[in-house]
Amino acid sequence: MAEVRRKSGKPLQVNPHKLSQPMGATLAFLGVDRCMPLMHGAQGCASFAKVMFTRHFCEPIALQTTAVNDVIAVLDGGDYSIVESVKNIHDKITPELIGVHTTGLTETKGDDLRGVASKIEVPLVYVNTPDYQGGLESGWTLTTQALIDQLTESCDRIDAQKIVLVPHVSLQPIEVEKLHDFIESFGFKVVAVPDLSSSLDNHLGEKQASLSSGGVTVAELKQLADAAFVVTVGASVKSVGATLQKKNPAIQHRHFDHVNGLVGTDALVAWLLEASARDTPPPVVERWRKRLQDAMLDSHFSIGQTRFLLVAEPDHLASMAASLREVGGKVSLAISTVDSPILGDIEADQVIVGDLEDAEKMRDAYDLIIGNFHTEALAHRVEKRAVMRGFPNYEEIGIALKNDLLYEGGAYFLFEIANAAERMREAQVHHERERIKLRGAA
Amino acid sequence: MSSKPKIKELLVESACEHNKTKKGSCNAPTPGATTGGCALDGAQIALFPFADAAHLIHGPMSCIGGAWETRLTPTSWSGRDLTQTGFATDITTNNVIFSGEKKLAAAIDHIVTHYAPEAVFVYSTCVTAMIGEDIDAVCKHRAEKHGIPCVPVHAPGFVGAKNLGSRIAGEAVLRHLIGTKEPEKTTPFDINLIGEHNNTGELWRYRHLLEELGIRVLSTFSGDGRIASIRTAHRAKLNVIICAKSLVSMTRKMQEQYGIPWISCSFYGKTDTSAGILAIAEALGDANLIARTRALIAREEARLDEQLVPYREIFAGKKAVLNTGGNKAWSIASALQDLGIEVVATSVRKSTEADKAKAREYLGENAILMTSPATQQAKVIDDTGAHLLLAGGRSLYTAIKKRIAFTDVNQEKKKSYGGYDGLLVLAEDLKNSLQNPVFELVDRKAPWQK
Ligand code: SF4
Repeated sequence: MAEVRRKSGKPLQVNPHKLSQPMGATLAFLGVDRCMPLMHGAQGCASFAKVMFTRHFCEPIALQTTAVNDVIAVLDGGDYSIVESVKNIHDKITPELIGVHTTGLTETKGDDLRGVASKIEVPLVYVNTPDYQGGLESGWTLTTQALIDQLTESCDRIDAQKIVLVPHVSLQPIEVEKLHDFIESFGFKVVAVPDLSSSLDNHLGEKQASLSSGGVTVAELKQLADAAFVVTVGASVKSVGATLQKKNPAIQHRHFDHVNGLVGTDALVAWLLEASARDTPPPVVERWRKRLQDAMLDSHFSIGQTRFLLVAEPDHLASMAASLREVGGKVSLAISTVDSPILGDIEADQVIVGDLEDAEKMRDAYDLIIGNFHTEALAHRVEKRAVMRGFPNYEEIGIALKNDLLYEGGAYFLFEIANAAERMREAQVHHERERIKLRGAA
Repeated sequence: MSSKPKIKELLVESACEHNKTKKGSCNAPTPGATTGGCALDGAQIALFPFADAAHLIHGPMSCIGGAWETRLTPTSWSGRDLTQTGFATDITTNNVIFSGEKKLAAAIDHIVTHYAPEAVFVYSTCVTAMIGEDIDAVCKHRAEKHGIPCVPVHAPGFVGAKNLGSRIAGEAVLRHLIGTKEPEKTTPFDINLIGEHNNTGELWRYRHLLEELGIRVLSTFSGDGRIASIRTAHRAKLNVIICAKSLVSMTRKMQEQYGIPWISCSFYGKTDTSAGILAIAEALGDANLIARTRALIAREEARLDEQLVPYREIFAGKKAVLNTGGNKAWSIASALQDLGIEVVATSVRKSTEADKAKAREYLGENAILMTSPATQQAKVIDDTGAHLLLAGGRSLYTAIKKRIAFTDVNQEKKKSYGGYDGLLVLAEDLKNSLQNPVFELVDRKAPWQK
């Protein structure tokens, strides 16, 4: 469908939007209740991740580091720093889980994580996430797999009502909640893994950031394997289906690349009707579908004349492009952080793995930008407009409550984009008028 | 020869107050109980404000991912603002196995071709330091090829925390830039501002006053800084350190090498700003300059006092609890006192002995110095009847529980409270906090709560 360039071909990233694999791992652990993510590396990586998520979510973030220093880096195989860290964490608090994830430094020195983990008594999950490989999506997925692999108990029973939902990393907390509740409204019990919907959703509470609060519990993680279905949303988490099936081959896996827009949501609803043996969905679902239909017609004129640049993680690109395409939006350029099999399916003229320097060079290809907060400065430079989506966003508040998916979120998404496109054209017309006036005066 | 600084030497820096009580321990963070950025973070913070230089991180995305374009340090540089441009080699498994030096060289070429910087800073990181990349050699070659300074900065995160990183950055600039160029002219009142990052435009709140007095800022390290001017810094008559103990080693070495004396100042609040400007004039030692400075201070203070009149009424009798670290514990306290607010307690959790002494001196006998503010502050608010809590975002909940006004001290990361005019900004923000009903409202009982 699209022309895809999977490698950047440059010796560096200029104005990067790619985020590292350990950051994805941290975020996944934050979706587990009372978890302490422990990044195994020198102190800076954890600090950068903590600052980024704190500013993005406007929430205190629980994250510790094994604080490897130059001496330890040379002498220790990981035992000392991890064992000490676990001890020091437990001196102050008692987490339900410690989530050890590595960084480039500790991978380069070749620490034996499995060996160390086997010596530690307290509940702990470990995952290898060197930052010179993969990115945010893979860190999230590897961690989700590790959680299931190392915690979920094998099972041979099936609870016909139970569904395990695995969202991709770019779904914001409210989106996970909406999806969770949507599926439950068809009569299922849903456990989301990881679940940011109650941990990073901007609720008022006494949060000292000593531990994550909210999310899937360790007890729930242990008991995932009696689910009738595992539903994965996003190509990056598709493999988690098989991870869970290893614990119980009777679990059925249903995968969706996204659940955005009319067609995407219809696909989910069709399956839910079938799986729940119902003829009709709950009335509210029907109402939202009609609202989305109306929103599509109301927004098609504006979006249909707009050329888009999308800048995001692969799964996020796929979902946004699908929504825009449904109302005639032309995604002329989609820039991905990393390579992914989904890139070939994205409905865009051109899909590249690249950075914002690439975006700047191809400025003639698009009118409106959708991407993280870095695209705002880009928009200024290339004299366009940007709508903020994706990690990180330091410029706006309320990001955790932005909902773009299913019929409901789809309608809000189209409104927001259409309004932004109109304002952009309005500004252009104004600009043009001023220019003509000036010319007249001169 | 490697340009790697001797870490041990930097740690036992004699002029560094921070180390008097903590000798050596700066280098041993506690596993599982460490917060704060790494040396690379500190080095970047120190050097990033050079907007006419490119800052290239030689490492994976963890080291730059969320950390570029923080927009905190504005510049008046008319070219492309490279402070807001992120460069990283984004090394891959392949580079880890077969070396990333070629990639680094090509990255520098790319930057020079497309962005024409005045210099390139190349930062090593844990992985590239661990696999032994020779960034000195690469920098040397590229500097010769392109005819601009390429400065290796050896501050991989595993050597220590932010403080050390900023010292290493100072070291790199001292070694590779300072003294490599002569200024077009010199004046008897040339100074360098060291450790002034122009965070949120802080520098611009007082630089014009110095200029009005005829004091010339020859160079800054590094707020609104220029590579061309830092290269001439060795010709200054005085180094002024702005609230940055970590750079004392740099100024001390400049004193040894170039005979430049140094003083330390803060430009936070009225009292400190006046004291700072006067200290500079006195250090330059010209009687006429000192007299003019006193006159300027009198004029500025009078102007400020007049502008503060409407606020005094609002702040009269108001008490504040301050929970913030390091030198802010007393510098903000001093600014609050300038506004007529009584500071009844401050945090000394992470303070050095000197900071504690200073806090006591500023706040007086009866004030409470909190050693564990997170657990103490709620009670302190009750005991003192405070009206306002100034703290980091995490303490917001305490203020809401106590139904008193809250101001996020980290707000100053977005707007400047420095200099005389900054005090007006602070006053306005505090007034808005004190008059905002949200702190009383938000925690009211829900209709279904008894
Ligand atoms: S600790 Fe090392 S790897 Fe981590 S951010 Fe700092 S320099 Fe990079």
